[in-house]
Amino acid sequence: MSAHDHHLDGHLPHEPEKATLEGRNKILGFWLFLGAETVLFGTLFAAFIALRHQTLDGPTPDHLFELPMVFAATMILLVSSLASVFAVQALHQHKVKQMIVWLIITILLGLSFLGLEIYEFNTYVSEGHKLTTSAFSSSFYTLVGFHGAHVAFGVLWIGLLIAQIFKKGLTVVTAPKIYVSAIYWHFIDVVWVFIFTVVYLMGKVG
Amino acid sequence: MANDHSAAASDPKRRHRHEGPQKHVVAFVLSLVLTIIAFAAVSAGEINTTFTYIILVSMALLQVFVQLAFWMHLKDRGHLFATMGIIFGIIVVFTMVIMALYWVWW
Repeated sequence: MSAHDHHLDGHLPHEPEKATLEGRNKILGFWLFLGAETVLFGTLFAAFIALRHQTLDGPTPDHLFELPMVFAATMILLVSSLASVFAVQALHQHKVKQMIVWLIITILLGLSFLGLEIYEFNTYVSEGHKLTTSAFSSSFYTLVGFHGAHVAFGVLWIGLLIAQIFKKGLTVVTAPKIYVSAIYWHFIDVVWVFIFTVVYLMGKVG
Repeated sequence: MANDHSAAASDPKRRHRHEGPQKHVVAFVLSLVLTIIAFAAVSAGEINTTFTYIILVSMALLQVFVQLAFWMHLKDRGHLFATMGIIFGIIVVFTMVIMALYWVWW
């Protein structure tokens, strides 16, 4: 790559995450993984859509869901996704401090999303909507809980990456990791778009 | 044409141009608007169910397209195989969900 010749003096290339073959392969491999993740969430969505009217004696979606809380969760995740894309922009400009600040904002928003979800689940359980209450409740907790687990994993992952950046700095080895974690974070937001649409909004409509 | 190309390639400003935050802010505002339309369609409660479903699904698909293209950089060059990977996943998902719901369940 002639475009990167002058970086042999030790400076980071323009897009450090794509500068090495390993980095490019990592990104491609991660996209293939996301294709598989899409299928995995698809099965959970299929189960939920099939079972969502089987409420037995438990509360119905319309009775249970509160749109302001769902809207707040949606906004938190959307803003965290924006923070994550700003972190990647800072990465491209080699502004490490700025990148870490955006990553920390991403994590904090992810944690507040998790806090809101725990509060939400807690409220549902106290209203008699437990995991074993009905087919609807089981498929609801499996789908939304699985997404929540992905958020928790993302928070942990990005947290560890920040620690690694402090230790090793931004290099052609650490840059693809940051980039891939940002892609993962956006994917979580994309899955949430379908959750608030299919689970909450369609649950309200009936 | 050849001259144009070499001039463009040797122009350091062009080669090292960094993307500004504008298009990501645009993607954010677009996502925000699509989300608000979806929530408003449901909270209004005046529209009939089928039409609300159509609004909800199209808003979700639009927002996912915006986020995949801009935030996940799929529209950038060098993403052909990545795009194929995720599209393959999406095709399998739609086949599976439709099959599960219409052939197996109902």
